[in-house]
Amino acid sequence: MNAVIEVKDLVKEYMIAKKGRGLRGSIRSLLMPKKTKVCAVDGISFSIAAGEIVGYIGPNGAGKSTTIKMLTGILHPTSGSVRVCGISPQEDRKAVVGKLGVVFGQRTQLYWDLRLGESFELLRRIYQIDKAAYEASLAVLSDVLKLDEFIDTPVRQLSLGQRMRGDLAAAMLHEPSVLFLDEPTIGLDADAKHAIRGFIKEMNRERGLTVILTTHDLDDVEQLCSRLVVVNHGRVVEDGPIDAIIAKLTPHRLLVAELERPCEDLDLDHPAATIVRQEGLKVWYQFEKSRITAAELIADLSGKLPIRDLSVKEPDIEDAIREVYKTT
Amino acid sequence: MLQAYLYIAKMKLLTNLTYRFEWLTSIFTNLILMLASVFIWQAAYRGGGGAGEALSVDDMVTYSILSSTLGALFVCNVQDTIYVKMREGQIATDLYRPLPLLGGYLADDIGGMLSSILNNAIPLFLFAALFFGFPGPADPLSLALFIPSCLLSYGILWLLSALVGMVAFWVMELGNMGMVKDVILRVLSGAFVPIWFFPGPVQTVSAFLPFQYTYQTPLGIYIGRVGTYEALGDMAVQAVWIALLALLLAAVWRRAKTKTLIQGG
Repeated sequence: MNAVIEVKDLVKEYMIAKKGRGLRGSIRSLLMPKKTKVCAVDGISFSIAAGEIVGYIGPNGAGKSTTIKMLTGILHPTSGSVRVCGISPQEDRKAVVGKLGVVFGQRTQLYWDLRLGESFELLRRIYQIDKAAYEASLAVLSDVLKLDEFIDTPVRQLSLGQRMRGDLAAAMLHEPSVLFLDEPTIGLDADAKHAIRGFIKEMNRERGLTVILTTHDLDDVEQLCSRLVVVNHGRVVEDGPIDAIIAKLTPHRLLVAELERPCEDLDLDHPAATIVRQEGLKVWYQFEKSRITAAELIADLSGKLPIRDLSVKEPDIEDAIREVYKTT
Repeated sequence: MLQAYLYIAKMKLLTNLTYRFEWLTSIFTNLILMLASVFIWQAAYRGGGGAGEALSVDDMVTYSILSSTLGALFVCNVQDTIYVKMREGQIATDLYRPLPLLGGYLADDIGGMLSSILNNAIPLFLFAALFFGFPGPADPLSLALFIPSCLLSYGILWLLSALVGMVAFWVMELGNMGMVKDVILRVLSGAFVPIWFFPGPVQTVSAFLPFQYTYQTPLGIYIGRVGTYEALGDMAVQAVWIALLALLLAAVWRRAKTKTLIQGG
């Protein structure tokens, strides 16, 4: 597999003027601003192969957007190198952005006052797509995103879900090989989220589109991404398949047992599991997969306790991510 | 590429035509400004000051009307566009496109200018003709020189506006800077009071600044204040300013690109 995106030892430092407090502080920072160096990205390396859907996640201020801006060429790194389709976006931004599609959930590239179709027509001319290719591309996008319903509506009158679909189509018209998505489902209802995830999957399957997704919505990540790159404090803290990250970070599972009667006289303990919570008739056991299987634990417990109901909870991506943010 | 620019201009034109109310208010304010400046000049000439020696009252009225019309026509939003887009981080979406940023903004302003011809300049000119008689050029040759001179004026104005807008790449709070430039421009361009009425030393300094070549030069040509050769000389100066400002803008833009700080996200 050939790498579509290669990032090596990427560093980005900012100088930030520190504002003093109060009037005196404001005057002082006006006359002699105190500047501090902030390292937004501190030596990030990764490489992404064609056709991957990668979740690029991390808490607010982890350096996600800064990385994306360097990948797209609108920020210059302090040091390190970036290659997109073998080209440096800093040296040849125009060549690189022609191969990229970018969608921000919180911004739009559509023209607010005009009908959606006008924005598409403009993009056709900017990316110099010939008429036939444009028609074909738009037909496919319309089909998946159901653009026909609102292509003649002014953008300002679109619902957020429709606008987002419009923005996705706008980013895909020139058939880019890489799509950057920054919180594409933010603020959307379940239906719209579903439509957008479906579209991303379809484009990935049909066109071999490489997708880099930054999001805080872990459902997006779970449903779309096969691989996660987790960053915190400007560094990559985890990089691998989702399942492996979950397994590594959260080896625990939970067994919830509901008893038939109050348990004052019962011996609830089990040597391989710890009780983490107890509430009324319900008892939560935490156990490690490597020490005991769920089946064994259930067998042991139901042997000595009057159990009415049982359920096993797998740790999910959310637990794993919380674990990452906590420990780094 | 040219097609993209044309389409941007067309979209701006369409956008401006959708806002009918804004159009009416803008005609109204421009009309008031024009009437005010004409009345002030008429009053000044009636007072019998020394003004009459430089220009006749009719020439001055024509000058004022044309100046207001040009003011409505010369759309230079680029300064605010860059400022607002930097502030809101929206500039990123423009940078993701394989189209030169400034070229796109110029096309946008040219679209604005085209809509201004329909929306503003023609109605304003017609109103003025009704109120004060048709403000014609001194002679056909003046008109022939006036039009290219106006285009050169627009070049200077736009480049100045873009240069000030560029400051937003370094300083987020552009507010004052833009205002300072606008005030200097209003005074030193001769848009309201021609520089001919200023004291000698000010005129000398002004001749070495770009501002008077934006309004006074084409307007002086229109009313026949300057002869043909002088007019051609002034237009050459305009062209030199465009070249200088364009070089400066290119240098600033090159530095701005490595400096880009995008807010938010």
